Amino acid sequence: MDDRVKTGIAGLDEMLGGGFLRGTANLLEGAPGTGKSTLGMQFIYNGIQKFDEPGIILTFEEFPLQYYRDAEAFGWPFQELEKANKLRVIMTSPEVSRADLASVGGRLESLAREIGAQRILVDSMSHFERLSQNPIELRTIIFAFINALKREGFTSLLTRESPALLGEGDVVDEDMAFVADSYILLRYVEIESAIRNALLVLKLRGSDHAKDIRQFEITGKGIEVQSKFEGREGILSGSPHRMVDSFVEAFVRR
Amino acid sequence: MATSGDLERRLMSDMDPELLEFLKSKVNSFIKWDLVRFFHENPNALDTAENVARAVGREVEAIEAELGELVGTGVLERQRLSDLRVYSLATDDSMRELINRFVLASDDRQFRVKAIYHMIRGMH
Repeated sequence: MDDRVKTGIAGLDEMLGGGFLRGTANLLEGAPGTGKSTLGMQFIYNGIQKFDEPGIILTFEEFPLQYYRDAEAFGWPFQELEKANKLRVIMTSPEVSRADLASVGGRLESLAREIGAQRILVDSMSHFERLSQNPIELRTIIFAFINALKREGFTSLLTRESPALLGEGDVVDEDMAFVADSYILLRYVEIESAIRNALLVLKLRGSDHAKDIRQFEITGKGIEVQSKFEGREGILSGSPHRMVDSFVEAFVRR
Repeated sequence: MATSGDLERRLMSDMDPELLEFLKSKVNSFIKWDLVRFFHENPNALDTAENVARAVGREVEAIEAELGELVGTGVLERQRLSDLRVYSLATDDSMRELINRFVLASDDRQFRVKAIYHMIRGMH
Protein backbone atom coordinates (compact mmCIF):
# COMPACT_ATOMS: atom_id res chain seq x y z
CA MET A 1 0.00 0.00 0.00
CA ASP A 2 1.18 3.55 -0.76
CA ASP A 3 2.70 5.44 2.11
CA ARG A 4 0.93 8.80 1.93
CA VAL A 5 1.82 12.06 3.60
CA LYS A 6 -1.46 13.80 4.18
CA THR A 7 -1.64 17.55 3.85
CA GLY A 8 -4.54 17.51 6.30
CA ILE A 9 -6.38 19.88 3.95
CA ALA A 10 -9.82 18.50 3.31
CA GLY A 11 -10.45 18.11 -0.38
CA LEU A 12 -6.78 18.34 -1.37
CA ASP A 13 -5.85 14.94 0.07
CA GLU A 14 -8.80 13.48 -1.78
CA MET A 15 -7.59 15.08 -5.03
CA LEU A 16 -4.14 13.61 -4.39
CA GLY A 17 -5.50 10.10 -3.87
CA GLY A 18 -4.77 10.28 -0.14
CA GLY A 19 -1.87 12.73 0.04
CA PHE A 20 1.65 13.15 -1.32
CA LEU A 21 3.79 10.06 -1.67
CA ARG A 22 6.32 9.95 1.18
CA GLY A 23 9.76 11.29 0.38
CA THR A 24 8.67 13.10 -2.77
CA ALA A 25 9.18 16.67 -3.96
CA ASN A 26 5.97 18.48 -4.76
CA LEU A 27 5.72 21.71 -6.70
CA LEU A 28 3.07 24.29 -5.88
CA GLU A 29 2.77 27.11 -8.38
CA GLY A 30 0.64 30.21 -8.35
CA ALA A 31 0.51 33.97 -8.82
CA PRO A 32 1.27 36.27 -5.88
CA GLY A 33 -1.46 36.10 -3.25
CA THR A 34 -3.05 32.88 -4.48
CA GLY A 35 -2.22 31.14 -1.20
CA LYS A 36 0.98 29.19 -1.90
CA SER A 37 2.66 30.10 1.39
CA THR A 38 -0.59 29.60 3.30
CA LEU A 39 -1.04 26.13 1.84
CA GLY A 40 2.62 25.41 2.57
CA MET A 41 2.37 26.59 6.18
CA GLN A 42 -0.82 24.54 6.60
CA PHE A 43 1.00 21.45 5.26
CA ILE A 44 3.70 21.99 7.88
CA TYR A 45 1.31 22.87 10.71
CA ASN A 46 -1.03 19.92 10.04
CA GLY A 47 2.00 17.67 9.85
CA ILE A 48 3.00 18.68 13.37
CA GLN A 49 -0.46 18.87 14.95
CA LYS A 50 -2.36 16.11 13.23
CA PHE A 51 0.29 13.60 12.22
CA ASP A 52 3.16 14.18 14.67
CA GLU A 53 5.58 14.95 11.84
CA PRO A 54 7.88 17.88 12.70
CA GLY A 55 8.72 20.24 9.88
CA ILE A 56 11.06 22.87 8.52
CA ILE A 57 10.30 26.05 6.63
CA LEU A 58 13.18 27.12 4.43
CA THR A 59 12.62 30.70 3.40
CA PHE A 60 14.56 32.69 0.83
CA GLU A 61 12.42 35.79 1.02
CA GLU A 62 10.31 36.43 4.08
CA PHE A 63 11.69 36.86 7.57
CA PRO A 64 10.63 34.24 10.14
CA LEU A 65 8.69 36.95 11.99
CA GLN A 66 6.48 37.34 8.93
CA TYR A 67 5.67 33.62 9.00
CA TYR A 68 4.96 33.79 12.73
CA ARG A 69 2.53 36.66 12.14
CA ASP A 70 0.86 35.09 9.11
CA ALA A 71 0.52 31.75 10.87
CA GLU A 72 -0.87 33.39 14.01
CA ALA A 73 -3.70 34.87 11.90
CA PHE A 74 -4.83 31.29 11.21
CA GLY A 75 -4.36 30.24 14.83
CA TRP A 76 -1.12 28.33 14.15
CA PRO A 77 1.34 29.13 16.97
CA PHE A 78 4.60 28.73 15.05
CA GLN A 79 6.79 30.33 17.72
CA GLU A 80 5.48 27.91 20.34
CA LEU A 81 6.06 25.01 17.96
CA GLU A 82 9.66 26.17 17.48
CA LYS A 83 10.13 26.29 21.25
CA ALA A 84 8.68 22.78 21.46
CA ASN A 85 11.25 21.62 18.88
CA LYS A 86 8.60 20.66 16.38
CA LEU A 87 9.39 23.35 13.84
CA ARG A 88 12.33 25.33 12.51
CA VAL A 89 11.99 28.40 10.31
CA ILE A 90 15.29 28.90 8.52
CA MET A 91 16.09 32.03 6.59
CA THR A 92 18.84 31.56 4.05
CA SER A 93 19.50 31.76 0.32
CA PRO A 94 19.40 29.21 -2.51
CA GLU A 95 23.18 29.23 -2.95
CA VAL A 96 23.82 28.62 0.75
CA SER A 97 21.16 25.93 1.19
CA ARG A 98 22.43 24.19 -1.93
CA ALA A 99 26.02 24.18 -0.61
CA ASP A 100 24.81 23.26 2.88
CA LEU A 101 22.88 20.23 1.63
CA ALA A 102 25.83 19.15 -0.47
CA SER A 103 28.13 19.14 2.57
CA VAL A 104 28.28 16.29 5.09
CA GLY A 105 26.68 17.16 8.42
CA GLY A 106 25.37 20.50 7.17
CA ARG A 107 23.17 22.87 9.12
CA LEU A 108 19.89 21.75 7.55
CA GLU A 109 20.79 18.11 8.12
CA SER A 110 21.59 18.68 11.79
CA LEU A 111 18.50 20.83 12.40
CA ALA A 112 16.35 18.17 10.74
CA ARG A 113 17.88 15.45 12.92
CA GLU A 114 17.53 17.63 16.03
CA ILE A 115 13.73 17.82 15.69
CA GLY A 116 13.12 14.70 13.59
CA ALA A 117 11.76 16.76 10.71
CA GLN A 118 9.90 14.84 8.05
CA ARG A 119 8.32 17.68 6.08
CA ILE A 120 9.84 20.74 4.53
CA LEU A 121 8.41 23.82 2.85
CA VAL A 122 10.79 25.61 0.48
CA ASP A 123 9.47 29.12 -0.14
CA SER A 124 10.21 29.80 -2.92
CA MET A 125 12.02 27.93 -5.67
CA SER A 126 11.72 31.01 -7.90
CA HIS A 127 14.85 32.33 -6.17
CA PHE A 128 16.92 29.54 -7.68
CA GLU A 129 16.44 31.20 -11.05
CA ARG A 130 19.06 33.79 -10.17
CA LEU A 131 21.73 31.12 -9.70
CA SER A 132 22.18 30.54 -13.41
CA GLN A 133 21.04 32.02 -16.69
CA ASN A 134 21.79 28.73 -18.36
CA PRO A 135 18.62 26.57 -18.32
CA ILE A 136 20.57 23.31 -18.45
CA GLU A 137 22.78 24.31 -15.53
CA LEU A 138 19.75 25.58 -13.61
CA ARG A 139 17.95 22.29 -14.13
CA THR A 140 21.02 20.43 -12.84
CA ILE A 141 21.16 22.67 -9.76
CA ILE A 142 17.45 22.19 -8.99
CA PHE A 143 17.67 18.45 -9.64
CA ALA A 144 20.60 18.13 -7.18
CA PHE A 145 18.79 20.25 -4.57
CA ILE A 146 15.61 18.17 -4.80
CA ASN A 147 17.60 14.94 -4.63
CA ALA A 148 19.36 16.20 -1.50
CA LEU A 149 15.96 16.88 0.11
CA LYS A 150 14.89 13.35 -0.78
CA ARG A 151 18.15 11.93 0.57
CA GLU A 152 17.32 13.56 3.90
CA GLY A 153 13.97 11.79 3.80
CA PHE A 154 11.84 14.92 3.53
CA THR A 155 8.47 15.08 1.88
CA SER A 156 8.82 18.54 0.43
CA LEU A 157 6.50 21.21 -0.80
CA LEU A 158 8.25 23.65 -3.11
CA THR A 159 6.50 26.88 -4.01
CA ARG A 160 7.08 28.69 -7.26
CA GLU A 161 5.76 32.07 -8.29
CA SER A 162 3.88 32.33 -11.53
CA PRO A 163 4.12 35.74 -13.20
CA ALA A 164 0.60 35.76 -14.66
CA LEU A 165 -2.13 36.99 -12.32
CA LEU A 166 -4.93 35.71 -14.51
CA GLY A 167 -4.90 33.28 -17.36
CA GLU A 168 -2.50 30.58 -18.35
CA GLY A 169 0.64 32.65 -18.71
CA ASP A 170 3.71 30.52 -18.19
CA VAL A 171 1.60 27.56 -17.10
CA VAL A 172 4.21 24.87 -17.13
CA ASP A 173 7.82 25.44 -16.22
CA GLU A 174 9.06 22.32 -17.92
CA ASP A 175 12.33 22.02 -16.03
CA MET A 176 10.85 22.38 -12.58
CA ALA A 177 7.77 20.29 -13.45
CA PHE A 178 10.02 17.56 -14.84
CA VAL A 179 12.00 17.10 -11.66
CA ALA A 180 9.06 17.45 -9.26
CA ASP A 181 6.97 14.39 -8.40
CA SER A 182 3.74 16.31 -8.32
CA TYR A 183 2.60 19.62 -9.68
CA ILE A 184 -0.24 21.68 -8.23
CA LEU A 185 -1.44 24.92 -9.76
CA LEU A 186 -3.27 27.71 -7.96
CA ARG A 187 -5.05 30.21 -10.17
CA TYR A 188 -7.21 33.31 -9.97
CA VAL A 189 -10.39 32.97 -11.99
CA GLU A 190 -12.82 35.71 -12.89
CA ILE A 191 -16.47 34.67 -12.74
CA GLU A 192 -19.28 37.19 -13.07
CA SER A 193 -17.02 40.09 -12.08
CA ALA A 194 -15.69 38.37 -8.99
CA ILE A 195 -12.30 36.77 -8.42
CA ARG A 196 -12.37 33.15 -7.29
CA ASN A 197 -9.53 30.77 -6.55
CA ALA A 198 -8.95 27.57 -8.49
CA LEU A 199 -6.74 24.58 -7.72
CA LEU A 200 -5.64 21.85 -10.09
CA VAL A 201 -3.41 18.81 -9.60
CA LEU A 202 -1.62 18.70 -12.92
CA LYS A 203 0.67 15.79 -12.23
CA LEU A 204 1.22 13.16 -9.54
CA ARG A 205 3.96 10.72 -10.42
CA GLY A 206 3.23 7.11 -9.51
CA SER A 207 -0.40 7.64 -8.58
CA ASP A 208 -3.80 8.50 -9.90
CA HIS A 209 -5.22 11.90 -8.99
CA ALA A 210 -8.27 14.07 -9.54
CA LYS A 211 -8.23 15.79 -12.91
CA ASP A 212 -10.91 18.36 -12.22
CA ILE A 213 -10.37 21.98 -11.30
CA ARG A 214 -11.62 22.78 -7.80
CA GLN A 215 -12.57 26.00 -6.13
CA PHE A 216 -10.88 26.87 -2.88
CA GLU A 217 -11.11 29.56 -0.26
CA ILE A 218 -8.63 30.99 2.21
CA THR A 219 -10.64 31.07 5.43
CA GLY A 220 -9.68 31.99 8.98
CA LYS A 221 -8.59 28.39 9.43
CA GLY A 222 -6.52 28.12 6.27
CA ILE A 223 -7.20 26.70 2.84
CA GLU A 224 -10.47 24.89 2.20
CA VAL A 225 -10.80 23.04 -1.08
CA GLN A 226 -14.37 22.95 -2.29
CA SER A 227 -16.34 21.54 -5.19
CA LYS A 228 -15.29 21.69 -8.81
CA PHE A 229 -16.40 24.46 -11.13
CA GLU A 230 -19.67 23.05 -12.44
CA GLY A 231 -20.91 24.02 -15.86
CA ARG A 232 -17.86 26.15 -16.70
CA GLU A 233 -15.05 25.68 -19.12
CA GLY A 234 -11.88 27.58 -19.91
CA ILE A 235 -11.09 27.90 -16.18
CA LEU A 236 -7.33 28.09 -16.71
CA SER A 237 -7.78 30.94 -19.15
CA GLY A 238 -8.70 33.02 -16.10
CA SER A 239 -12.08 34.04 -17.52
CA PRO A 240 -14.19 30.92 -17.92
CA HIS A 241 -17.54 30.88 -19.65
CA ARG A 242 -20.60 28.82 -19.04
CA MET A 243 -20.71 25.62 -21.04
CA VAL A 244 -24.29 26.37 -22.03
CA ASP A 245 -23.06 29.59 -23.71
CA SER A 246 -20.47 27.61 -25.66
CA PHE A 247 -23.19 25.23 -26.74
CA VAL A 248 -25.41 28.08 -27.88
CA GLU A 249 -22.43 29.66 -29.66
CA ALA A 250 -21.55 26.44 -31.43
CA PHE A 251 -24.92 25.10 -32.39
CA VAL A 252 -27.82 27.46 -31.88
CA ARG A 253 -26.48 30.68 -33.39
CA ARG A 254 -25.13 29.08 -36.54
CA MET B 1 28.48 71.23 39.63
CA ALA B 2 28.01 67.82 37.97
CA THR B 3 30.90 66.61 35.84
CA SER B 4 30.66 64.33 32.79
CA GLY B 5 31.97 61.52 35.00
CA ASP B 6 29.00 62.01 37.36
CA LEU B 7 26.62 61.90 34.40
CA GLU B 8 28.15 58.69 33.14
CA ARG B 9 28.02 57.09 36.58
CA ARG B 10 24.36 58.05 36.89
CA LEU B 11 23.52 56.76 33.42
CA MET B 12 25.27 53.47 33.88
CA SER B 13 24.52 52.88 37.55
CA ASP B 14 21.44 50.76 37.02
CA MET B 15 22.60 48.96 33.87
CA ASP B 16 23.05 45.23 34.18
CA PRO B 17 26.87 44.87 34.39
CA GLU B 18 26.84 41.86 32.08
CA LEU B 19 24.85 43.73 29.46
CA LEU B 20 27.09 46.77 29.85
CA GLU B 21 30.13 44.57 29.28
CA PHE B 22 28.41 42.91 26.30
CA LEU B 23 27.76 46.36 24.87
CA LYS B 24 31.27 47.64 25.49
CA SER B 25 33.16 44.63 24.25
CA LYS B 26 30.92 43.09 21.60
CA VAL B 27 28.15 45.35 20.30
CA ASN B 28 30.17 48.56 20.14
CA SER B 29 28.69 49.98 16.92
CA PHE B 30 25.24 50.61 15.49
CA ILE B 31 25.88 48.18 12.64
CA LYS B 32 26.78 45.41 15.10
CA TRP B 33 23.62 46.22 17.04
CA ASP B 34 21.57 45.78 13.83
CA LEU B 35 23.35 42.54 13.05
CA VAL B 36 22.83 41.14 16.54
CA ARG B 37 19.13 41.98 16.34
CA PHE B 38 18.88 40.40 12.88
CA PHE B 39 20.45 37.12 14.00
CA HIS B 40 18.42 37.15 17.22
CA GLU B 41 15.20 37.47 15.22
CA ASN B 42 16.40 34.84 12.75
CA PRO B 43 18.21 32.38 15.01
CA ASN B 44 18.43 29.73 12.29
CA ALA B 45 19.69 32.11 9.60
CA LEU B 46 22.76 30.91 7.72
CA ASP B 47 23.93 33.21 4.97
CA THR B 48 26.68 35.07 3.19
CA ALA B 49 27.70 38.64 4.04
CA GLU B 50 26.08 39.79 0.77
CA ASN B 51 22.72 38.27 1.66
CA VAL B 52 22.87 39.42 5.29
CA ALA B 53 23.63 42.94 4.02
CA ARG B 54 20.54 42.77 1.80
CA ALA B 55 18.43 41.54 4.70
CA VAL B 56 19.49 44.35 7.03
CA GLY B 57 19.39 46.97 4.29
CA ARG B 58 23.09 47.92 4.27
CA GLU B 59 26.04 47.74 1.89
CA VAL B 60 28.13 44.59 2.17
CA GLU B 61 31.28 46.73 2.51
CA ALA B 62 29.74 48.30 5.60
CA ILE B 63 28.99 45.05 7.39
CA GLU B 64 31.74 42.63 6.40
CA ALA B 65 34.31 43.79 8.96
CA GLU B 66 31.62 44.04 11.64
CA LEU B 67 30.51 40.46 10.97
CA GLY B 68 34.13 39.41 11.34
CA GLU B 69 34.43 41.20 14.69
CA LEU B 70 31.20 39.58 15.94
CA VAL B 71 32.72 36.22 15.00
CA GLY B 72 35.89 37.20 16.88
CA THR B 73 33.93 37.95 20.04
CA GLY B 74 31.88 34.75 19.83
CA VAL B 75 28.52 36.35 19.03
CA LEU B 76 28.42 34.80 15.56
CA GLU B 77 29.97 31.78 13.91
CA ARG B 78 31.54 31.62 10.49
CA GLN B 79 32.02 28.57 8.34
CA ARG B 80 33.00 27.66 4.79
CA LEU B 81 30.46 25.95 2.58
CA SER B 82 32.00 25.08 -0.75
CA ASP B 83 33.32 28.45 -1.92
CA LEU B 84 30.96 30.44 0.29
CA ARG B 85 31.75 32.03 3.63
CA VAL B 86 28.58 31.98 5.72
CA TYR B 87 27.54 33.43 9.07
CA SER B 88 25.16 32.21 11.74
CA LEU B 89 24.31 32.91 15.37
CA ALA B 90 26.59 31.36 17.98
CA THR B 91 25.37 27.95 19.06
CA ASP B 92 26.71 28.39 22.60
CA ASP B 93 23.71 28.47 24.98
CA SER B 94 25.16 31.06 27.38
CA MET B 95 25.96 33.42 24.48
CA ARG B 96 22.46 33.00 23.07
CA GLU B 97 21.01 33.74 26.50
CA LEU B 98 23.11 36.91 26.78
CA ILE B 99 22.06 38.04 23.28
CA ASN B 100 18.45 37.37 24.17
CA ARG B 101 18.73 39.47 27.33
CA PHE B 102 20.42 42.27 25.42
CA VAL B 103 17.78 42.41 22.69
CA LEU B 104 14.92 42.25 25.19
CA ALA B 105 16.53 45.00 27.27
CA SER B 106 17.00 47.16 24.18
CA ASP B 107 13.24 47.20 23.65
CA ASP B 108 13.19 49.54 26.64
CA ARG B 109 13.70 53.21 25.72
CA GLN B 110 15.71 54.02 28.86
CA PHE B 111 18.11 51.18 28.16
CA ARG B 112 18.49 52.29 24.54
CA VAL B 113 19.28 55.86 25.53
CA LYS B 114 21.97 54.68 27.90
CA ALA B 115 23.35 52.17 25.42
CA ILE B 116 23.50 54.76 22.64
CA TYR B 117 25.23 57.24 24.94
CA HIS B 118 27.78 54.64 25.83
CA MET B 119 28.27 53.56 22.22
CA ILE B 120 28.83 57.12 21.00
CA ARG B 121 31.22 57.72 23.86
CA GLY B 122 33.13 54.57 22.95
CA MET B 123 33.48 55.71 19.36
CA HIS B 124 35.53 58.75 20.37
